[in-house]
Amino acid sequence: MILSQLVISGVATGMLYALIALSMTVGYRATTVVNFGHGDIVMMGAYAMLFLAVGVGMPFPLALALAASGLFLFGFLMQRGLMAPIIAGPHLSLAIMALAVGYALRGVARIEWGNDILLLPRPYAQNAFLLGPVVITMDDLVITGSVLLLLLLLFVVFNVTRIGKVIQAVFQTQRGAQLVGINVPAFHCIMWGAGTTLGTAGGVLLALIVPLTPDMGVWTLVRGFAAMTLGGFGSLHGAVIGGVLLGLMEKLLGFYVSTVFIDISGYLITILVLLIRPQGLFGQHATLRV
Amino acid sequence: MPMRFNRALGALGAAVAVVAIAAAPASAQNTQGISDKTIKIGNLGPFTGESSIFTPLNFGPEAYLRSINAQGGVHGRTFETVFADDACNEAKGIAAAKKLIYEDKVFMIMGHPCSGVAMAIKPMLDKEGVPWMGLAANPKLTRPTVPSMFSSYTGIESGSAMAAFALTKPGVKKIAIVQHSNDWAAGYCNPATDYIKANGAEVVISTAMERGSTDATAQALQIKQSGAQAVMGCLYQQELVILLRDMAKYGVDAIVLGALGADFNQTVQQVGNPAAVKQKFFQPYQFQAKIGTGPLKPYRELFLKYLTKDELPKSGEPTNFYYFGVPVGIVTVEAFKRAGPAPTREKWIEAVESLKGFETNVFADTANFSKDNHVGFRRMFAVGLNDAGEETVYSTWGKPLPPSGS
Repeated sequence: MILSQLVISGVATGMLYALIALSMTVGYRATTVVNFGHGDIVMMGAYAMLFLAVGVGMPFPLALALAASGLFLFGFLMQRGLMAPIIAGPHLSLAIMALAVGYALRGVARIEWGNDILLLPRPYAQNAFLLGPVVITMDDLVITGSVLLLLLLLFVVFNVTRIGKVIQAVFQTQRGAQLVGINVPAFHCIMWGAGTTLGTAGGVLLALIVPLTPDMGVWTLVRGFAAMTLGGFGSLHGAVIGGVLLGLMEKLLGFYVSTVFIDISGYLITILVLLIRPQGLFGQHATLRV
Repeated sequence: MPMRFNRALGALGAAVAVVAIAAAPASAQNTQGISDKTIKIGNLGPFTGESSIFTPLNFGPEAYLRSINAQGGVHGRTFETVFADDACNEAKGIAAAKKLIYEDKVFMIMGHPCSGVAMAIKPMLDKEGVPWMGLAANPKLTRPTVPSMFSSYTGIESGSAMAAFALTKPGVKKIAIVQHSNDWAAGYCNPATDYIKANGAEVVISTAMERGSTDATAQALQIKQSGAQAVMGCLYQQELVILLRDMAKYGVDAIVLGALGADFNQTVQQVGNPAAVKQKFFQPYQFQAKIGTGPLKPYRELFLKYLTKDELPKSGEPTNFYYFGVPVGIVTVEAFKRAGPAPTREKWIEAVESLKGFETNVFADTANFSKDNHVGFRRMFAVGLNDAGEETVYSTWGKPLPPSGS
């Protein structure tokens, strides 16, 4: 009973990590830059939702649409105004810029929402169901269902549509993509915006189960980065599988070995994968210079 | 030989002079921060960073000092507060304390809630003789007694109160410990563990839950498997909410005693499931009455009058953290009154040590200090929701205190 419960819970948590890793991967595939401020963008998405749904009192779907749109615009402008001017420079500059934006967002959240611990009300009843001896909550179902829907959408976009081919072309060679007429800088902005939008979705789902604090982005980044590393940089299905494996690892090691592993699993995975198989499970063999 | 003797005598004289010169500033410093019109107080706390949820502990005593200033101060001097941010980080805290002591030249430091930082600056405070009237929970800060350092409550009182309340529930013999891996949590859970063992009960499992956890499945299932009847949750609010939520989710039938890193009402509200907290979740309670009612009502008015918009909660009422900080302000002011019109650090310390049965009208206990005891308050109750879901203060399991009126 306990093993099946841990697996179910691990998958639900892992789906959330998968979404965060996926949102980082989308930005990475476009620009080959890891957004080290992404955890704080996830946090900002959660707070934007809180502001619109609780502060302004908008219906949940409208607040979600507006929060996602607002964060898309933020991601777009961040890429256009802050990353693009230095994109030809060393990766370290880009990493520091992303980190600085993240810290600034955290500061803004602290100024606006202070030091209170806040909660996003669920738009559904907090029910639990029994599947044999295993407990499944509405939170588990909503998170897993939402992430699966987003995955399906991304699968279609990346594999069936022309946009997917453009993404693949830019990821493989930016110069080649430019030569065949793709506006690469604009594409970067759109993809960066898409990454922040997915990050917002992750933040909103996270806010359904965790009280909000301005520092919630820190561990979010660690988990997202670990899942992305495990799955392989740039691999979309790798990010998903990496996220789910991380969720399972946290639960199983946490219960059977020590709960200390829940906190350090992300770091352990990152260290081990970078040492043993830097390209991760499904990534291409490439060197990330940061 | 006489020549050599004279030289030795000269060297001895010079050494005595150096020692005397070195000692002279220490003596002169015992009025540091005192002017004809003001008393400079350092208010050190986590104004930024992930522990900044505890800043109300700094604002409570500050509100009280401002109210005293509005009445003309003490012996013609008003209080001038210098805020310093330690972010509950040892390195930052040492730098902030050095700035307060050596640059801002404060008389004392008051209201400091971070145990790790307080332990880090303890040698500096002791060496310089800077008075510290703090809220940090680590018992090692003031046990054994350090001449210039005073605590309101420490983890020994709170941790023991958590365990004592749990053990008054009939049949409770098996206890689980869930805690953060830090000084603060150890300050509560170690005394709780000692109390449990000393009173014939057993700690059946001790497990960690770190900051930033989003899920407590592993901990909840471990508790369930261990058969624990009560849980000592030495956790900050965010993680305490998650533990309570997941214990309810997996049907863990045990009561949970939270430490003082969480606000009771907010925790209950954020769990969002009455069944998970009603007669299940309790916290040590150090107040005379329900927050904002009875003898605590004037303090609610005081917060609203003297704190700025940025210092008050963004929404809702001032939490118990605001009230918890006030008594250190009251004791600090009372000691200045007793120290007379020409206060020195020595006189102030003696004045604090003279407080016996001193009523703050905030805590259930009166302040009792002495030369050998620098922990002012000890008595605690427990707060929880009764069967009707109403906030209730208990002396022991199932025994509520009479209501104090509103």
